[in-house]
Amino acid sequence: MIDSILLVDDENLFHLVFEDACSLLDISLSLESIDSSDEAAKLFEGWQKDSNGKPECVFVDLNIIGSSYDGIELIRKINFEYGNNVIIGIISSSNEAEEQAKAVKAGAQFWIIKSDEIEPRLEEFKKDFAGYKNRTNPFKVYK
Amino acid sequence: MIKLDKNTRNQLIELYKTKKIGLEGNILKLIDPDGDEEFTSYIKESIDRDKDSRRKRLDITKQVQSQNNDLVKWKNENERVNKELTIALEEAKESNEGMLVAKQEAEDSLEEAQNARVEAEKARIEAENAKMSAENDLDLIQKKSQFELIGTIVKVALWVILGVGFVTTGMYLIALSTGLDTTVIGSTWSNIIGILLTNAFSIVGTIMGVKYASEKKD
Repeated sequence: MIDSILLVDDENLFHLVFEDACSLLDISLSLESIDSSDEAAKLFEGWQKDSNGKPECVFVDLNIIGSSYDGIELIRKINFEYGNNVIIGIISSSNEAEEQAKAVKAGAQFWIIKSDEIEPRLEEFKKDFAGYKNRTNPFKVYK
Repeated sequence: MIKLDKNTRNQLIELYKTKKIGLEGNILKLIDPDGDEEFTSYIKESIDRDKDSRRKRLDITKQVQSQNNDLVKWKNENERVNKELTIALEEAKESNEGMLVAKQEAEDSLEEAQNARVEAEKARIEAENAKMSAENDLDLIQKKSQFELIGTIVKVALWVILGVGFVTTGMYLIALSTGLDTTVIGSTWSNIIGILLTNAFSIVGTIMGVKYASEKKD
């Protein structure tokens, strides 16, 4: 089980779906959802000094409406500016190879396609999580 | 894991039995029943109830999310259609403006054509007047020529008449002065004078008649 998850997604309805799906699948004990990449960046900036409350895994939406930068830029910042070494990936309805290549460059470890049936993908991700934790899994798209 | 004391455990079980209120959420995954069968059963039932309610909520949330996505799609479609409609309206407005300009131009052209027609009519009238004037001038010149010709004829005729008169009169005077026989020449002279006078009056009458007729015609 994942210790704690942070979801960054502008769609509040998806927060509820994701939280319930994670709870039903026993994916995580603790889950926080926020709707802004600016807020996420601030949190990670703070966790550089004090890692208390820092999530183990981060799911970031590709397009975060109302934020200063998109999901890929947030991942790049977390990986290369804040250096928190979290397991991080994209959760988006998009399945564009070009965007996925950008995400890999930014340091994303996985890409989960959002759809009505999110549970099977999250269950598969749960099985693969250990590999992401010890950095042995390659980048994977959950379709 | 969390271990609860006996009093708390009893209160939780009692609350569940009497009011069907149980613990919810991930906290249930962290409570250690410590081998207590009744409390284990309570935790399991609470987890099952929590999962049921989450499942229901998840289904409803998905349904709402799907409807919301449809609404967002419709909204986008509506915006797209509105945008197209606005563009079409603008185009129609521009087209209407163009049409009004074309109409104005056509009206201007019509007015110009009417002015040109009036000018052409004026020009035609002027040309006809000029033509009439030219014809009149020509007629006048012709009449003048005719009158000059007539005048010349009259002059010549008068000279001829006068010449014949003088010659006959001279011959008659010579015959009288020389004492020659004047029987023939005398009658001839009177005949000639009579004829000449008749012809002279006839010529003058003809000329006057022609002149009168020409003036009346004009």
